Amino acid sequence: MSKEVKDGKKRLLKAETPVPGLTDSKKLRQEIISKNQEGWTIASEEDDALLRDPLTDLQSFQASCNFLKSAIRDIKNVKSSRPDAVGEINSIRTDATIHFIHMKKLNRLAHFRCRKVRETTNEAKHKIDQCHLQLQNLLYEAMHLEKEITKCMEFKSKDEEIELVSVEEFYQDAPATITNESVTKNDPHLQMLGRLEWELELRKNLASKLTATKKNKEQLSQEIQSKQDYLETLQPKLSAILQATRPVQDYLSMPYNAIQEEHQMAQHLPQPLYVLYMQTSAFKDACDKCLKVSITGDVDAAKSLATWNFEPDEESDSDQEDLEKQETKRHRRVSAEQSQEKKNKIFRKHPLSVNLTISNEDGTELELTFCYLLELNIITVTVKVNLSEKGTLSSITGGDLLSPDLILDELYPGDFGNDSPNPANHYELKKHGLLDLSTYIPLVGRPYLWCQLMGGLQFLKKEISLAEDADGFSNIARIPVQAKHSICAANIQKTISLLRQRISSRLSLLQQLSSLERGIIPVSVDFVKQFPAKINAHLSTWSRCTWEDLQTLAHAKRFLKSGLIRSSSIIFQAVIDRGSAKMNAHVVLTADYPQVPPLFILDIVWQTQRTALTDIFVMEMEEEVNLHYQELSSSTQQNQLLPNQLQRLLMCFDVYLETDTPASTLVPVEIPKEKIMPRTSRGPARSKPFKYLPELGIFTQRY
Amino acid sequence: MHLKESRQACLYMLHNVVYDTKFSPCGKYLAAANKFGDIALFSLTAALSPDASDESKCPIFSFHVYDQGGIYSLCSTDIFLICAGEGDIQAYKWSDIIAKNPKVAWSLSIPKKGVFSHAEINSCVIHQDSSSMVLYAGAGDHLVHSWDIENGSYLNSFSGHTDYIHSIVTKDDGKNLISASEDGTAVIWDVRLKEAAQVVKPFENEKCARPHIGKWLKCLTVDEDNYWLLLGGGPTLATWHLKTLTPTATYETPGVAQHVALFHEDKILSAGSSNHLNHWSIAGEHKMAVPVNPSSIFSIDINHNSKSNKVLTVAGSSDKIDVCSNFGYTAFSLTFVPPLS
Repeated sequence: MSKEVKDGKKRLLKAETPVPGLTDSKKLRQEIISKNQEGWTIASEEDDALLRDPLTDLQSFQASCNFLKSAIRDIKNVKSSRPDAVGEINSIRTDATIHFIHMKKLNRLAHFRCRKVRETTNEAKHKIDQCHLQLQNLLYEAMHLEKEITKCMEFKSKDEEIELVSVEEFYQDAPATITNESVTKNDPHLQMLGRLEWELELRKNLASKLTATKKNKEQLSQEIQSKQDYLETLQPKLSAILQATRPVQDYLSMPYNAIQEEHQMAQHLPQPLYVLYMQTSAFKDACDKCLKVSITGDVDAAKSLATWNFEPDEESDSDQEDLEKQETKRHRRVSAEQSQEKKNKIFRKHPLSVNLTISNEDGTELELTFCYLLELNIITVTVKVNLSEKGTLSSITGGDLLSPDLILDELYPGDFGNDSPNPANHYELKKHGLLDLSTYIPLVGRPYLWCQLMGGLQFLKKEISLAEDADGFSNIARIPVQAKHSICAANIQKTISLLRQRISSRLSLLQQLSSLERGIIPVSVDFVKQFPAKINAHLSTWSRCTWEDLQTLAHAKRFLKSGLIRSSSIIFQAVIDRGSAKMNAHVVLTADYPQVPPLFILDIVWQTQRTALTDIFVMEMEEEVNLHYQELSSSTQQNQLLPNQLQRLLMCFDVYLETDTPASTLVPVEIPKEKIMPRTSRGPARSKPFKYLPELGIFTQRY
Repeated sequence: MHLKESRQACLYMLHNVVYDTKFSPCGKYLAAANKFGDIALFSLTAALSPDASDESKCPIFSFHVYDQGGIYSLCSTDIFLICAGEGDIQAYKWSDIIAKNPKVAWSLSIPKKGVFSHAEINSCVIHQDSSSMVLYAGAGDHLVHSWDIENGSYLNSFSGHTDYIHSIVTKDDGKNLISASEDGTAVIWDVRLKEAAQVVKPFENEKCARPHIGKWLKCLTVDEDNYWLLLGGGPTLATWHLKTLTPTATYETPGVAQHVALFHEDKILSAGSSNHLNHWSIAGEHKMAVPVNPSSIFSIDINHNSKSNKVLTVAGSSDKIDVCSNFGYTAFSLTFVPPLS
């Protein structure tokens, strides 16, 4: 047993060999004692703990534990086998105690070591924290710096906004001191600086020049002012002189002043009337002394009108709205008054008007008064005919030929002056709930197309249909038409000659009509030779006839259908007699007779009723007067056309009756053949010899 | 200026009289001649097409032939359109007219008798056989003149009428020639003997005489078999039996002179100084009166030259030339518009 214990002890000791002082319990004890004796402090133990290897300590601890276990087991064994062996037990006990103390020491050392490790860990941790903080700071700093860099990069200098002279010019013009070419060529920065410097120099120069020029200008304007002041002082002096010369002017009948006054008045005319006035007076001075042009009206009103800015649309729109709102409240009378007001406003004339008087050779005057409608931008004309005293005419059938309403019909084809030539007017009137312009003609006068042309106003033609937009107002309506001199100048001569022609042709027509009413066909001397000396047929009645009358005639239908006769045509009826034979001739004159020749529609009552529809010879007679009228008028005597046509008709009627086949050989012939006709019929239609050859005195067919 | 011209054109159309019409040899065109000496060419194919517009009823081309008076008669060969009237006889090639470039191919004039004679030609016909081509012209100098067209030489004249000649026709393969005159007689000439063989005087026949209208004869037609002769004008239109020269049937048109007539199938169509085209049976029964535009009719013609364009045209004192595809009514009218000056 003891051997085993010893073995065990030996093993333990062997195991403890690396640990000095633990080789055996005695040594351990001695060690402890010695240590105590050497006065070991706790502090030294701490150091000891550091010095010693923890692993060896762990092994020695395990060895001590094993020893204690074996010691206890030995004690037990001893006690059970030999209860009396107390000494042995004690020695074991002592060894065990020594080992126990050693364990204790190891435990302490472990504690120390643990504390030490904890301390070092803390220390390391602290160090890491510090490093981290430092890192953060540095990163922040780096970011800040980056920002600064970008800010610098983005910086824009003011010089970039300045417009500089180009580089080439800079090198060309700037002095070498500024260009310093050798350096600046390679360094764009320095080049820029150089260019800026040069720019500054240039601009300084210009600024100084500007101030100099301004100064000069001021000086000049001062000079002008002083001269003007001087000129103004002349005005009263001059007018005084003029005033003084007036009696002399009057005495010498040189109306310089009157002309001047009128010209001053003309300044206040609206543009179109001004154009009209200017061009007609220019025409008068240049070509036609018989014209009289003057301005009438209230100059002051015209002056005040010029200053008053007129805005038609907005005003009238609001008016209308107001009207609608208040209509329910107000009396009907009030609204009627308002519409009257509105009408007045729309048809407002310019206070000034131009008077044009055209006089004929025999003293008949055509007085035209041109007014300008401000709102509608058109010129209207009112006409007055002043008959000369000697030429008093009385014609029943042509009483209306000189009426102001009709005398200027179709001066140009199709121009009756009923509708406004300004297409915008239609919409304007519609907008204000007014009727067409034709209803208001007595109020405003007639807006003939030629008036507009004389006033230099040119509108789009009616034929081109205007595309109306949804609310019925065309865009064209909004485009203001400006008066142009060129338009007027191109038309004025023709228009005035037409006006003159019109009045002379109307007068001669009236004369002819009054003669026709008495049954005499006034053939002028120049044409008498064209007709045979003896004509048996005679004009018995000459009367006026209406368009409606004509429409009832079957044989007039083809003429009506052809469009040659319109409701505006002037229609007469002539009855021509020879014995029991009677011919009715409907004579259709247009307003611009004799430019357009009269048209004849015939019917004959001779045994039977005969018209062009039943008798081809009647058609041939119509042809004689309607188609072959050129022989009956000359360019100088156009006005003679109607009497000549009638005379030819009488002659043709004679021929017709004389060549007509007798109804029966038994009855004596009422109308004998008197005229010399080589052939009574010719050609497939058995045409009658309606043509008179004056040089031979015979009648032949037209071929 | 434009207005004046359109007015002039209007007056022209209002007083227009078409004296004769002829279909082109190809049957596609119609030439119409009027009193103003103008010829208008209408395209029948265009006017008859289903989508015909108003414009296709106006002349495709028109030209002026005589300055002084009308064209009274047209006659046509395979190559030429021959115009006669108040002037020389003038021939134009159909091909030139259709190409709108008419040139006078040749012209003939009747021998003048005196300084003041201006004889018109009221009717001309061409007789063509294997050996010769002869043009006969009934003229205002009371004579029928004849020319050989092959060489243009004047052959002879037929004299005997006492007034001007309205119409002529040939019959019996050109052996005989018939002329109808203002003097009231119709003369049947023997061409070879150059003398009058027979004379017909309807104004002396009690069935036909109408003295209040006159004795003149204008309407003259012979049927294909040379059996019947149609004569009319002042006297009532009647068929005369050619062998016996007696009137067998009369066609009563009271107060209306008949200017033209033609045999069509078993009917007779006639028209004159009223605005009606009359259809008759040969026996004299009045079948129909078709109202037409012209108030006085001078030409009725049927287009035999083209089957597709087989129409009847009626022309006269109007600017309208009526076209009947079914002969019973007017289908539409062609309008004679004056040539551009």
